[in-house]
Amino acid sequence: MNTTTKNIFKLALVAGIIFFAASLISKSVDIHQLNIENYSAEKPLFGTDEYQYEAPKELPANDAVATRVKWSLLFFVIILIMVIANAFDISALTSRLTGKQAINSNNVNKWVMLIFMIVGLSAVAWEYSVHGKHVMLGDSASEHGVQLDSMFSITLILTTIVFVITQILLFYFSFRYSKKDGQKALYYAHNNRLEVFWTLIPAIVLTLLVLRGHQTWRSIVYADVDGTKSTNIEIFAFQFGWNARYAGDDGILGVADYKFISGKNKLGLANPAEVDSLLVELIAALIAEEAAVKALPQTIEQLQKDLQAAKDLQDNEAMSSITKELEEINNGDRMDDLEASINRKTKQIERIEAIKKDPKVFATYFTKAEEDDVITQELHLVKDKLVTFKFRSRDIIHSAWLPHFRVQMNVVPGMPTKFTFIPTKTTKEAKAENGETFDYYLYCNKICGTSHYNMKMKVVIETQEEVDAWLKTQQMAFKAMPTPVAVPAVEILPDSATSTKDTTAKKLALK
Amino acid sequence: MSTETLTATHTHHDEHAHHEHHEPSFIFKYVFSTDHKMISKQFLITGIIMGCLGMLMSLLFRIQLAWPDESFGFLETLLGRWAKDGKIDPNYYMALVTIHGTIMVFYVLTAGLSGTFSNLLIPLQVGARDMASPFMNMLSYWFFFLSSVVLLSSFAVETGPASSGWTVYPPLSALQKAMPGSGLGTTLWLVAIILFIVSALLGGINYIVTVLNMRTKGMSMNRLPLTIWAFLLTACLGLLSFPVLLGAGLFLIFDRSFGTSFYLSDIYLNGIGALTNSGGSPIMYQHLFWFLGHPEVYIILLPALGITSEVIATNARKPIFGYSAMVISLLSIAVLSFIVWGHHMFITGMNPFLGTVFMYVTLIIAVPSAVKTFNYLATLWKGNIRFTPAMLFAIGLVSFFISGGLTGIYLGNAALDVQLHDSYFVVAHFHLVMGSAAIFGMFSGIYHWFPKMFGRMMNNTLGSLHFWLTFASAYMVFFPMHFMGLAGVPRRYYQFSLIPEFGIWMNVNIFITVAAMLGGAAQILFLYNFFRSIFKGKPATENPWESNTIEWSTPVKHLHGNWPGAIPTVYRGPHEYSRPDRELDYFPQHEVGNGEPVHYEGPAEVQKTYATDNKESASKVFFSSFAHLFMLRKA
Ligand code: HEM
Ligand SMILES: [Cu+2]
Ligand SMILES: [Cu+2]
Repeated sequence: MNTTTKNIFKLALVAGIIFFAASLISKSVDIHQLNIENYSAEKPLFGTDEYQYEAPKELPANDAVATRVKWSLLFFVIILIMVIANAFDISALTSRLTGKQAINSNNVNKWVMLIFMIVGLSAVAWEYSVHGKHVMLGDSASEHGVQLDSMFSITLILTTIVFVITQILLFYFSFRYSKKDGQKALYYAHNNRLEVFWTLIPAIVLTLLVLRGHQTWRSIVYADVDGTKSTNIEIFAFQFGWNARYAGDDGILGVADYKFISGKNKLGLANPAEVDSLLVELIAALIAEEAAVKALPQTIEQLQKDLQAAKDLQDNEAMSSITKELEEINNGDRMDDLEASINRKTKQIERIEAIKKDPKVFATYFTKAEEDDVITQELHLVKDKLVTFKFRSRDIIHSAWLPHFRVQMNVVPGMPTKFTFIPTKTTKEAKAENGETFDYYLYCNKICGTSHYNMKMKVVIETQEEVDAWLKTQQMAFKAMPTPVAVPAVEILPDSATSTKDTTAKKLALK
Repeated sequence: MSTETLTATHTHHDEHAHHEHHEPSFIFKYVFSTDHKMISKQFLITGIIMGCLGMLMSLLFRIQLAWPDESFGFLETLLGRWAKDGKIDPNYYMALVTIHGTIMVFYVLTAGLSGTFSNLLIPLQVGARDMASPFMNMLSYWFFFLSSVVLLSSFAVETGPASSGWTVYPPLSALQKAMPGSGLGTTLWLVAIILFIVSALLGGINYIVTVLNMRTKGMSMNRLPLTIWAFLLTACLGLLSFPVLLGAGLFLIFDRSFGTSFYLSDIYLNGIGALTNSGGSPIMYQHLFWFLGHPEVYIILLPALGITSEVIATNARKPIFGYSAMVISLLSIAVLSFIVWGHHMFITGMNPFLGTVFMYVTLIIAVPSAVKTFNYLATLWKGNIRFTPAMLFAIGLVSFFISGGLTGIYLGNAALDVQLHDSYFVVAHFHLVMGSAAIFGMFSGIYHWFPKMFGRMMNNTLGSLHFWLTFASAYMVFFPMHFMGLAGVPRRYYQFSLIPEFGIWMNVNIFITVAAMLGGAAQILFLYNFFRSIFKGKPATENPWESNTIEWSTPVKHLHGNWPGAIPTVYRGPHEYSRPDRELDYFPQHEVGNGEPVHYEGPAEVQKTYATDNKESASKVFFSSFAHLFMLRKA
């Protein structure tokens, strides 16, 4: 009687779990009338997606909620059963029924091992078949990506085989060799042949993988070593956005430097007129800041008066803001900020002027190549044409990731990086596959601050003609702008230069 | 239930009999204790508290990822201005992720795991009365405690805690104005980490000295339990790599506060202008950081592997399969872990040739890891497995180690890393192989040595429940993340709803969050079981798991000095379970008797082949030569 009860229990439990899991899996798939062949990006595999803003909603909202709930339910139920299997103390029950010794919890755990293996592996299979569809976002849209994808597939197949075999062995051994009374384990401490065997096999497999990986890696990173075969496009990253810069008709990207960055010259191109107006700006700011330092005592007086006035008016808001400002001045923060800023600007001016003074250095910076450069908010590339991204960061490390093209490279301030590749699929072709709302994007993939999650640039792959036509609609960096004064090569704007010297001298004198 | 049968034969004697005399005052017994057993409890409890905080943080930011456009009143109640209108602020989100990572990696799985079990087990398992320097040991804990307080205090800072990721890469972390968290929060983070490093070094030196010099008579290196091997190598790794992080951190402090340019060059910051820093390299920080960072993942993992090796041998009632192979693989992992750091930097723009080199060494490290897995499987084969909670968690570790280890083969491949770097695939990978595996090793250790620490037993049924719920939920949380990463979803994103292409993952994100909540709830079972058992658990017997190692020969009631009489002499290795020449299926290391292990190379079929072919094979010579390296006998 007791063994029968036990067995019935076990069988019912296993059958119940498998049945439940299977029916729920099939149901949750059914809900969406899922047909994998018909799958496309606007028809998400499970449930509609409210967050897919541009996609049309396929299912009524209620259905989406229901889907979500059912989804979570599926796994909840599996867990619940496990809970019951444990909590429902079978051993206690049987022992009460039979008056015999309790079944020990070993047996329960042993069976849960087996069940976990079956349910777990089915879940894995389900994941592979459903989520697996998205893996690597379909075929690569770049040439080297094809090789990378085949490397990926080989690794995927190999690791999946090893995964399944070793996990099955682990759970099966646990199930099969659980404790039995009166049984003794096999005393088996080592076997050197086995050790050698399972050292060599992984070593050989990994060697093959790494050799192929090496090949793939080389083909990616050495695509255009001397930089002669490809078109250069600069990708400029900043907190929080991207710009692309095209070389224009001369085919040369003008020199750029972070020291030249200004409100109008966002990429810091070495354009003489821009640099001069930056100098003017900087010097004006410097003078203002120095005046502010001198005026600090008066500022305090004024603020105290304002504070009194605010007190009289009982304007709490004004009072608190004035108090804050006063505190900032009194504890020296304001002074520190001003001094740091003056120091920064003085250095910047000195450095810019050093560049301008030395004719040789000047010539390397101010080449006029920047004049026809085109700066854009979108990135348009020509299909089947080798392109090299030259990355430059204004501030923080960013990372340019174009997942569809298997392209990623960090963008490091102070260190130029690059990536060479050939896009092979136009946006139009991709839209035909993935739906009209589809677009390629370049994402930032290195944490870079508050808005890191929304730092992206649209990427368009087109024919040469289309790209040329689009470039014409974009503004050139400087050519279109009227050049204010014809600037002589070395001594530009003498008065501003002298006033800088004055300020610097004054600064030195102050010290 | 199995413990009931195990412990039934022993009679428990009254604990209160010798309770009152020679007690040190409360403050020296529980606070500034120099007793390694008390220090290990301090590490453990602090680690558990930090672990709970780290987990709660992950639940908070998981809520944001699952329901990015909804608002939750309770978030505003909880976080105040950081969750205006019930939606977590992006800066605070990043701060939570950063502190979650920092807490989990350093505070829970370095100090909480290694600190607890190195302290508890090294003296007890090598047969020493205490650590080489009990005072340094106490300092080690208090530096750790101080460090935890400093780290957590950054939540009270107006601009919030550090938020540039647990790797705190400059320039983001170096420029105080680059994001709010890079202000005072990052300063506190750096101070906390420096205190932490001091703690790790004080502890590590102690562990190494104790293992090398204070082994009892007969405890040669080749008779050390694998736990001790793992702790020894872990301490070596820490001792060699943490100072590098200290240097990296100091340079960062200089760059932040004293105007140096170690990591900074050519920067124009919005709202400030062109900075004067010039000539530094942010990539240098990454080299320094990962020179610690990669060994760090093994600092986390090796103790867990050591613990499970002992737990599996004890509960499978079998010698661990291939003791010397296990030691050799631990050793080679430890050595190799120092030369693979560049696999975190394949796409930083470093020379592609360097990438190639790092790819080769990284894939080599997979070989000893594979050997360990096969040895675990072979140990289970034909065992007589007792599913104690410790054993369940050890099996769970092996499962995670396989799942997470295999994805390392993708990420170690420079070519694939171009696509996978910093995607959710990476999050899945390290949470399985480092996060879940090591946490399971820690749980395994807690359940196994709880009787030794607290003199009482934890409840087995609750333990099993805790295991199954945690095991299932960890897989449900982290397995789907592989697929997200492979489909181009980046990590460290505050919100995915702004990018239409990620829409298909919204349901998966919800599913993951729900599973994470379930996993979080399961930890309540653990906390209840743990804290209740400290006071109300069934009193433990001296050797409840019928284990061989000598810590189980100490009395249940803790003594300063561990053994009441002489320290036992050790006569054999730690794994003489189920010997064919004995009635009992265990054979404690200190029991007098046939000292040498029986030479037995396997079951009859295997032996037959040996009989026909008894000349020494090359492989045998190769391995025994290694084995001889460890015969630095002491006795
Ligand atoms: C309670 C279960 C846990 C959950 C739900 C969880 C979830 C997460 C998530 C969603 C992230 C953010 C990924 C990203 O956006 O980059 C993360 C980051 C991280 N987690 Fe966990 N985690 C858990 C436990 C652990 C454990 C046990 C460890 C121990 C190693 C760990 C270590 C980390 C690290 C190092 C990071 C990276 C932080 C960073 O990006 O700076 N986590 N976790
Ligand atoms: Cu960015
Ligand atoms: Cu690493």
